[in-house]
Amino acid sequence: MKGLIIKDVMCLKKQLMIFAYVLIGVLVVSVMYVLSARFGNIALAGKEMLATDQLSGIDVKNLGSIALVLFMLLPPATVCDMVNVFEADGKAGFHKVAASLPVSLRKRVLSKYLTIYTLFLIGAFVDILIAVLLSGITDLITLKDFLGIIVSSVSVMCIYSAFVIFFCILLGCGKEMYAQILSIVTMLLVVIIINFNTIKGIIISIVKSGEEDSVGDISFIWNMLDFIKERSYVFLIAAVFNSVASFVLSWIIAERKRGVI
Amino acid sequence: MDDIKNVIELRNVTKDYGDFKLDNVSFSVPEGSVCGFIGQNGAGKTTTINLMLDVIKRDAGEIELFGKSIDHDSASLREDIGVVFDEMGFHEFMTGIDLNIMMKNIYKNWDEELFFSYLKEFSLPAKKKCGSFSRGMRMKLQIAVAISHHAKLLIMDEPTSGLDPIVRNEMINIFREFVLEEDHTILLSSHITGDLEKLADEVVFINGGRIVLAGNKDEILEKHGLLKCKKDELEIISDSLIVSSEMGNFGVEVLVNDRYAASKLYPNMVIEPATLEQIMIYYVNRG
Repeated sequence: MKGLIIKDVMCLKKQLMIFAYVLIGVLVVSVMYVLSARFGNIALAGKEMLATDQLSGIDVKNLGSIALVLFMLLPPATVCDMVNVFEADGKAGFHKVAASLPVSLRKRVLSKYLTIYTLFLIGAFVDILIAVLLSGITDLITLKDFLGIIVSSVSVMCIYSAFVIFFCILLGCGKEMYAQILSIVTMLLVVIIINFNTIKGIIISIVKSGEEDSVGDISFIWNMLDFIKERSYVFLIAAVFNSVASFVLSWIIAERKRGVI
Repeated sequence: MDDIKNVIELRNVTKDYGDFKLDNVSFSVPEGSVCGFIGQNGAGKTTTINLMLDVIKRDAGEIELFGKSIDHDSASLREDIGVVFDEMGFHEFMTGIDLNIMMKNIYKNWDEELFFSYLKEFSLPAKKKCGSFSRGMRMKLQIAVAISHHAKLLIMDEPTSGLDPIVRNEMINIFREFVLEEDHTILLSSHITGDLEKLADEVVFINGGRIVLAGNKDEILEKHGLLKCKKDELEIISDSLIVSSEMGNFGVEVLVNDRYAASKLYPNMVIEPATLEQIMIYYVNRG
């Protein structure tokens, strides 16, 4: 199985180059951003907006941490596409070779999950290094909140990847793009269903205040941000549950269909 | 006397795709032999191989490799099997070095030194991406991978198709070298019967999902014959001897399944030895 993981990582070689650049880029941009938010133009703009009551202190702080959340998401996001591995396997006809190797179908399916999760762990490790560095030079966000963001973002990526692997096996070779679309749509649907009442409330308030040049209450976004920072374990549990379910279902489908992995 | 051990044994194996059915396929391949698995395109050769490798599930029947049912831990049975497909299934960006890294982490018995010695012997550059290899080189790379873990059984699906005669001959020599070890066995699927005539000890002929002929190659060649006669003489030939016949401008050619019986019964008719290709064609024509 280790050999298959190595092969999958080789398939992601191009992406790994981008991954390395992104890691360096994120580190540099994050440091620049934090320094600017502390001493530079972003700090000045924040102060100005605070003075003219355009934003509250909480808004300024939250806007700062949203930018950092996005930075934290970037490293795992650059390696998350298992679609590339499935596409490369399909193009080469590797499933025939894989079936002739002394690796059981269960392990062949499992190797896909292990590949991507190992890479996510590397991404998370780099994120943690950045978090330790940044939390030391800014009061925008604490290390605890940073870690919360990292766990949440890596968990979300794991959920997405688990969907991608499941749909790739379900749909079979040559339909990787549909697997990607279906994964995104499924995740969006889950978010909408979970937050249905809140989203409904926001839409109603936007419709009601339509002519008043307002986009309604942004506290929803700040609540989400707090949730990401403080309740990252919810994402982690969801990721574990989703991964196990995805693996079991993918294995069953692969057993029935044969020749797809 | 020791019993002959069968490395491959299929008993009443059935797989129904609706538009194609592999029907009650039974044959065996003895240890240390080269078995030619012949049949036209679409006859069921690849399906049979995929069933043996547990790539697809059979509907009925029994398959045993090395005397063990593939239903119990087929993955570990594959430790002793090398497989060569008609198309190379490795990613085009991979080099010999990459394949070595991958395979040594898959096969327990992977022999790194042996693999690189094969690459050298087959003139395959270890650092070059296999996507840039010619068809012959790709096949040789597959063979190098297939035998570098000290496989005892080599299963090959049309390995020589599309290759020029020089490369085909080189490959046949590689296979010959492989079976020098007495516990090494080859199942070679092909519709190029000339290669099998040079190499095979056993022949299994499949047509339309059914095994029509199986046994020792020399015995099959010995038994069958091409009987040449006039059109009006065809009627006197016993039906039980005729596999099928072909009308020509100057008479009829009949494939008989027992040329010694035929020569005794019809001493005035010319009976020539038949090639595997002729035997295959006449059995296919029989329908």
